[in-house]
Amino acid sequence: MRVGLFVTCLVDSMRPSIGFATINLLEAAGCEVTVPAQQTCCGQPGYNSGDRQAAIALAKKFLDEFEAFDYVVLPSGSCAGMIRVHYPELFRDDPAMLTRMSAVAQRTYELTDFLTHIAKLDKIPGTFKGTLTYHDSCSGLRELDVYKQPRALLAKMDGVTLNEMVESTTCCGFGGTFSVKYGELSTRMADNKCAHITDTHAGAIVGGDLGCLLNIEGRLRRNGDHTTRVLHVAEVLSGMDKEA
Amino acid sequence: MSARENILERIRKAQASATATPSATLLSHLAQHPRGPLPPQPENLLQCFKERALKLSSDIVETADIQEVPALLAAYLIERILPVQGVCWPVLENLPWPQAGLEIQSRPAKNQDMVGITGAFCAIAETGTLMMLSGPETPATTSLLPETHVAILDPARIVATMEDAWELLRKEHKHPPRAVNFISGPSRTADIEQTVTLGAHGPYRVLLILAPPLNT
Amino acid sequence: MHNTSLQFKKQVTIKLADVRLQDALSRLQSRFVGGRAAVISEIHDLQETRTAAAAIRDRVLNNLEHWLLHFEQQATARGAIVHWAETGDDVNRIVTEIAAQHNVKTAAKSKSMVSEECGLNDALEQAGISVMETDLGEYILQLAHEAPSHIVAPVVHKNKEEIADLFAEKHNKPRKTDIAELCREAREVLRPAFLNADMGISGANFLIAETGSALIVTNEGNGRLVTTLPRVHVAITGIEKVVPTLEDVTTLLRLLPRSATGQSITNYVSVLTGTKKPEDHDGPEHFHIILLDNGRSKLVGSEMQEMLRCIRCGACMNHCPVYQNIGGHAYGWVYPGPMGSILTPMLSGIEKSPDLPNASTFCGACAVVCPVKIPLPDLLRRLREKQMQLGMKSRQETFMLRVWTWLALHPKFYALGNKIGVRILQLMGGKDKLIHRLPGAGGWTNGRDFPAPAGKTFRELYQQRKQS
Repeated sequence: MRVGLFVTCLVDSMRPSIGFATINLLEAAGCEVTVPAQQTCCGQPGYNSGDRQAAIALAKKFLDEFEAFDYVVLPSGSCAGMIRVHYPELFRDDPAMLTRMSAVAQRTYELTDFLTHIAKLDKIPGTFKGTLTYHDSCSGLRELDVYKQPRALLAKMDGVTLNEMVESTTCCGFGGTFSVKYGELSTRMADNKCAHITDTHAGAIVGGDLGCLLNIEGRLRRNGDHTTRVLHVAEVLSGMDKEA
Repeated sequence: MSARENILERIRKAQASATATPSATLLSHLAQHPRGPLPPQPENLLQCFKERALKLSSDIVETADIQEVPALLAAYLIERILPVQGVCWPVLENLPWPQAGLEIQSRPAKNQDMVGITGAFCAIAETGTLMMLSGPETPATTSLLPETHVAILDPARIVATMEDAWELLRKEHKHPPRAVNFISGPSRTADIEQTVTLGAHGPYRVLLILAPPLNT
Repeated sequence: MHNTSLQFKKQVTIKLADVRLQDALSRLQSRFVGGRAAVISEIHDLQETRTAAAAIRDRVLNNLEHWLLHFEQQATARGAIVHWAETGDDVNRIVTEIAAQHNVKTAAKSKSMVSEECGLNDALEQAGISVMETDLGEYILQLAHEAPSHIVAPVVHKNKEEIADLFAEKHNKPRKTDIAELCREAREVLRPAFLNADMGISGANFLIAETGSALIVTNEGNGRLVTTLPRVHVAITGIEKVVPTLEDVTTLLRLLPRSATGQSITNYVSVLTGTKKPEDHDGPEHFHIILLDNGRSKLVGSEMQEMLRCIRCGACMNHCPVYQNIGGHAYGWVYPGPMGSILTPMLSGIEKSPDLPNASTFCGACAVVCPVKIPLPDLLRRLREKQMQLGMKSRQETFMLRVWTWLALHPKFYALGNKIGVRILQLMGGKDKLIHRLPGAGGWTNGRDFPAPAGKTFRELYQQRKQS
């Protein structure tokens, strides 16, 4: 399986280890991974701010870069959701582009969804030992039905104990530019999430979207919690959590 | 142009597919009035109705002899130290009320009446609900003003769903009456701290007496 | 009602700090979210039923003119008088005229959110007609001179102690503390209002075209009382509330109470058709139905039409993490939460509510529970597009978005910009690898640290590894 990896702008700049962890996992699953060099951003920030034209331009760029692959995989539910669910809709008035875009969108997957349903990864390279709790990022959950997949993969790791938090599916308050524009509200939502995390007494909080993780980590640390680890599910599954 | 014309004009302009007269689809939908998705048919309508009605805090007693109804009601009221005065629908006026020690008058309810005794057009098993039709012989105030509402219900008039209830109405009456009231237990409110409290503006309690109809 | 949505951000600060409100909101969450979850499984196939419900609403919205005309024809044939109103002021004028025509001095009112849009109560009071709200929540608000903060549970923001204080003050009776006692007191105070009112005013949850009927769902019995005892009944609702048949409304009724309050059915469902006949003992002699536009017709045929499917259940706001944290008053108008964030700009003016479409993370919890499948996040996004087209975005935001898009379309500059950016951020993070203050991003760093990046981008590291 030839996979084009779209690392996402946040992973590229803020946490490259997630990108390498993703490659590790895909290769462990027997995929041939290519990282198209000109990739930048899926266009969600502009799209969610009301700039449809910007999103259309970036969608076309994506199509050129990724159309040739068997599959496109992203370590992010929100970016994968942008491509799978929203890219086709951007071309609702352009039948030719719509066909092409729909075809690629259908081959585009969030990482844990891909590993579970397509690559069917059975032997998990990771060596994490301890309790962790899982935060379900909104887009992955509601746009892509990502819920069971990360849990199924983590369940294959002997050393992992998963303590579910109360309201794991409630929004953490990130929401892209929302986190800055409505900072007070966003902080309160993050605080609520952190309280639920703390209540699980887990050593680590794990999730599939770096935006959420930065938001949660930011609030944990400001609250004085410097011990709860904040990890991307790719890092845990690939054994690269040591570097994180 | 009147408000009516302005509003309709705006709607007409906005809908490119607008037709000058009601479409065939509209008319056929009205004529056929198809049902939407339905729950599975309960195995035992009576059982299902009783379970749902009890869940909604209605009280239920049963009898095989409608002439026993006044005695059952008297027992219910005395047990709860409630007044034994009230009103009933005309069709029920000849039941042995005085013999059971109850002062029941055959007239529409007034504010001071403490018990209102009615029949019901039918009942719905899905939710434990009574269907009442207003009319000269079935005044709406009887089930509304008094603190205790007593409904005498023939178990054979329990249908599965509200759709079935509408079908019964269509069959037995040409038009809906002025008021169709679906009643599902005592009045209630949860406006204060989301705590459900029984007895708001309508009755505090509903007693369902399941009995065969008169003249059986 | 006056729109104060421009105060949104200020209100957010106030509401987040309001401890009593926060308590009340967590109560709402456990009752309504938990309540819905407990009963929604009673619906045999929820997704099939939601699809059917959306189709019922769309059938009417796609052909609104003829469904409205059919309703009007049927209602009139049964003795009701149908009025059309373009604005809230028109509604107020019509009701005042009806009152004058029938010598009405007092009115008893059951809950109507549409009447809140119009500011009906104030208009009637000014015309010398006294109006008594009879829905317990609305009655409490009337005593407190406050607006509702939720479309189904209007007084959710108050606790029992506040209500006990209010009753003690206004009723001139000894202060009660038990909720059941408070309800009994309200019943006793309001019963005369029902009996003596010249006119009953209500909303209508649905208008049934087939029979020309108005359908009202209540739990308290006040809805039945105001539409049965007074000699005049006025029902006010929006033009989008028409439903084709009795069977169609029944499908919607399966979803409405379960979605709203976690009830399988509301205590009372009243289907009201026409006026009292001479041989009847109760019912209004005069039945007026007022159909209000107030901007709804603008949505018909537009990319926002789906919003008109709304059956006012409140599930969206019950499940919205933003609403759960700030309550309804912050939204500034009649309708709060996700549905209010769309209706307020559309009905009351997009320029009056710049924050509402933006104060959302698009988490989608609302869309999952909407019984008629309104794509709420998509509609909010469309409003953001409208705002962009109208030049409503701040210059700073527009500029930054433009810069970001340009960079994203020019990979070489993007790579360079990122390389520089992450090194700066790494430096700012210092020893503990946390940035405590980010100029320009005070919204983040006022309440959170920003985890500093490692200092090199993935792109750089990947290229390095490939070369070695």
